[in-house]
Amino acid sequence: MHDDVITPQRLQQIASAAPPGAAWSAYHAAARSLDALAGAAIPDGLRARVAMLGSFTLEPFLPVLRIEAARAGLWLDTYLAPYGQYLTELLDPGSGLYRFGPQVTFLAIDGDVLWQQRWAEQPPLRSESVVGDLLTPLFAGLDVFDRAGRGIVVVNDFVLPRRSTEGVNAFRSKATFAHTTAHANKHLRLRLATRDHTFLFPMADIVAQVGRNQAFNWRTHYRGHVTWSDALMAAVAARYAGFALASIGKATKCIVLDLDNTLWGGVLGEDGPNGIALGPQWPGSEFLDFQRELLDLQRQGILLAACSKNNEAEVLEVLRNHPHMLIREDCLAALRVNWEDKAANIRALAEELNIALDHMLFIDDSPHERAWVREQIPQLRVPDVPADPSQLANWVGSLPSLVVLQQTSEDGRRTAQYREARDREAYRSSTGSVEHFLRGLGLRVQIEPAADSTMPRVVQLFAKTNQFNLTTRRHDEATLRRKIAAGEWRVYTMQVADRFGDFGLTGVAVVAPAGRVWHLESFLMSCRVIGKSVETALIARIAEDARRADAAALTAEFIDSGRNQVAAMFLTNHGFSPTDTRRWERSLSQPGPDWPEWISDLSAGRGPGAAAEAVMP
Amino acid sequence: MSDPTIDGRVRAILSQVLGVPPDAIGPGFSSESNPEWTSLAHLMLISQIENEFGVTFGSKEISELTSLDRLTAAVTARGA
Repeated sequence: MHDDVITPQRLQQIASAAPPGAAWSAYHAAARSLDALAGAAIPDGLRARVAMLGSFTLEPFLPVLRIEAARAGLWLDTYLAPYGQYLTELLDPGSGLYRFGPQVTFLAIDGDVLWQQRWAEQPPLRSESVVGDLLTPLFAGLDVFDRAGRGIVVVNDFVLPRRSTEGVNAFRSKATFAHTTAHANKHLRLRLATRDHTFLFPMADIVAQVGRNQAFNWRTHYRGHVTWSDALMAAVAARYAGFALASIGKATKCIVLDLDNTLWGGVLGEDGPNGIALGPQWPGSEFLDFQRELLDLQRQGILLAACSKNNEAEVLEVLRNHPHMLIREDCLAALRVNWEDKAANIRALAEELNIALDHMLFIDDSPHERAWVREQIPQLRVPDVPADPSQLANWVGSLPSLVVLQQTSEDGRRTAQYREARDREAYRSSTGSVEHFLRGLGLRVQIEPAADSTMPRVVQLFAKTNQFNLTTRRHDEATLRRKIAAGEWRVYTMQVADRFGDFGLTGVAVVAPAGRVWHLESFLMSCRVIGKSVETALIARIAEDARRADAAALTAEFIDSGRNQVAAMFLTNHGFSPTDTRRWERSLSQPGPDWPEWISDLSAGRGPGAAAEAVMP
Repeated sequence: MSDPTIDGRVRAILSQVLGVPPDAIGPGFSSESNPEWTSLAHLMLISQIENEFGVTFGSKEISELTSLDRLTAAVTARGA
């Protein structure tokens, strides 16, 4: 009766029979409808293999997990370890867990494990031994997983399941349950953090969200080790679904934001920039906090984009100049502010950012816009947004698809890189000559000797730079330090920025002064700054220093690697001529190379912007 | 749930937990005739009924609440 190919929308429709937080029996019944699909073709892109291991009865949790995953558009193939066998399953490379080959393994351990151990002897054991007895075998199991398993492992932190009876002096002692739990969590966190594929699941946070008295069902706990209440099962499942989505690369990569009554209160076109609600006082504080949450997501690498029916100039005015706006223009990877259809604008954003529509999530306060966009772009995530803006900040963190598993320091700058590349391109196409282009870039450089703090980046540049590199020699840190200490080498570093953004440390030169000849042992530029004339600034500085030291000539070595012709052109363009196949020379009795007047020299305080720019951005 | 009576609400929960259509659940419906009514299903069934009606059953009582009629009678007796 249904098409054979299952879509995320079909899964979501089945899940809608059990609204979030419904009674367990509703989830259980809805999961039966999923079972009815099992024979049908489920596309690979919609399925994740998920294993559950735990210290208590988890059978009733599986239907809840499958339904919350279905609500996120995901089909789960599940494996449940036998009751209480979580350690055995982890430790035995031939166990069902490893045969199943999950993409995500959830390890659900309740605080009772700690509680029982504490009272295994009289008097209660000290927390150190209790924690050691629990964590040592657990991490032995995770070591086996590293070798025999695949995918990620998610382990929850421990929760005090009930009010303590340890008395008002408990805080003085280490032999208490509260201390044991805190101690276990500390060590769990520290030890999980050193492993790439393990994650800490914030169970204490989820329990707090649900409320501890509502989170545990003591009746079923004692009757059959079903510890989680219906409400906790639903809350945990929704978060687990986020991990499952992320593990198969289906998490959200970009949030598209409406503006009026979403990022600020009121309608900009009617209320004007001074009339919208945004700031530390209510009601603007509701939107300010929402913006803070969004920026936290952006910091992890999720892009923010804006899509609004407004006049672009008015929106830019708010983004640039509103005193309380936190999400500024440069926080947005892209904008579509016009009076056109939002679905078309979202498609255009997807194209511009090169992100698939099923990796985007749209937040708009208007139910009409949401309904329209949902209909036009079924694969887009369009969650219902709370009508009450005081709920926005607390709500956005509950969206399951906002899980970022892999994070590098680059991710925090991803938005900036999108925007900078776009702005430079727009600027380049709007200007004529190269020099005119360079003059308008607002280039700033800072040239300094290599220091302890910059040495790792210097070594990295030696290792990575292939094009603009005279010799492609890969110097290591020990060599550099030895030569500098011996006075044989001067190592120059150059940091570069322009008005669109910061390139960081992107130029390095090694000079070996030998009497009246200064020899360029190495000279390299990151490809990020090729074409910006900053190499001229660096060689000009070296020539100045050489003249000051009474040198008569610069020499340079060039080793043709087949890929570094741009470095040979650099020598020609700056007055060097070859004296043999590898050696080039430039007399310092001829003037130059001159410092490019359009580049501000922050270390020497010269150039067009030197006075205004005291420090690098 | 369409049937607001105690009997209707108990039948709806039985149907969801056991996967039996509501109209197939009538007088005489019991664990003996239903292979789906396992001990774990019983545990969850009792808990769902306790949650739905705001009641708690004792340990002896639970082992005897193995039919629609007994469940309905037990809930009714609590005045829920």
